[in-house]
Amino acid sequence: MMATDRVATFAIAFTLCYAAIYVACTELNVPLLTYHPVIGEIDFLWKPSRQGPAMYWYGWMLTAFIGAAALAFGATLMPEPWLQRTILFGALAALSYLVLYSLALLVYDKASVELEFLTWRWPSVVAAVIAAAIGTAFAPAQWSERLWPGWTWSIPLGALVVLGYYLTPYFTR
Amino acid sequence: MAFWTTLLIIHGLLAVALLGAITHQAVALWWPVRAASSSFVVRFRAVPSTSYVWAIIVLYLATFVMGAWIYTQYRFTSRLALEQLRFFKTVGVFELKEHVATIGLIVLPAYWAFWRLPLAADHAGARKQVTLFLALIVWANFLIGHVVNNARGFGS
Repeated sequence: MMATDRVATFAIAFTLCYAAIYVACTELNVPLLTYHPVIGEIDFLWKPSRQGPAMYWYGWMLTAFIGAAALAFGATLMPEPWLQRTILFGALAALSYLVLYSLALLVYDKASVELEFLTWRWPSVVAAVIAAAIGTAFAPAQWSERLWPGWTWSIPLGALVVLGYYLTPYFTR
Repeated sequence: MAFWTTLLIIHGLLAVALLGAITHQAVALWWPVRAASSSFVVRFRAVPSTSYVWAIIVLYLATFVMGAWIYTQYRFTSRLALEQLRFFKTVGVFELKEHVATIGLIVLPAYWAFWRLPLAADHAGARKQVTLFLALIVWANFLIGHVVNNARGFGS
């Protein structure tokens, strides 16, 4: 189950990068444009709502499209083992961050004293990058020989889980 | 209002066609026919999967574009009404639909790459997995759209 050509490499890399960038865009609210449906006007980048709600979904998709297309093009220029390692590193880093930051917030909630530093994101980011670097360095060599097409559905699925988690306030009110 | 209702019906019809196509393809791929039979289920599974690829891509794109267009109207009409009625779960599940639709859209390039002719033997596993993933996405969005439409009601 291996990718064998640049078209497949571009397609897989585009899907993975898009999923990751799209999640980041929704979390950080980084739209390329803002649409105001009541007045039918479009603003460049993020703008607050005026005369009715503002829509950022189209902008998030465009931001992710540009980022993913650029990264996927870069991916086609990389040797396949490097690309596979990069994706493995990214996936491990994202997973580690999710676990570490969730644990930090859990400890923060349960602690009897105020431990505000546990709510900071950057220590979890640094720890996740270190964990991912170690995991990638010690991964069996055969894992990195060729690009694994199974990423094509597993990372978008992970993105959907994260996006779904962000929506939990709608279901807990 | 008739204009948006017409678009919504077209969106729904495209979604039905897409649902049928992707379900046929996924079932034929995951549960291939070993021996010919005249039963309905066997004939349902016996379709040539490759012939569905472009139909699925075109139908997905058309359904997505129509949905994205209708979404502009939903945002300041139906959604406001749902919020006033405190149907937060319905609003939340529709928010999920927009993300699921986007994820399905971005899987299409890989889906196309894995289904290119001649079919690559070393993409057989990926082809099955991505097709199933896309089928689940289409089913999820179809059901969510149906639920949301029921919450607000046709023509209401």
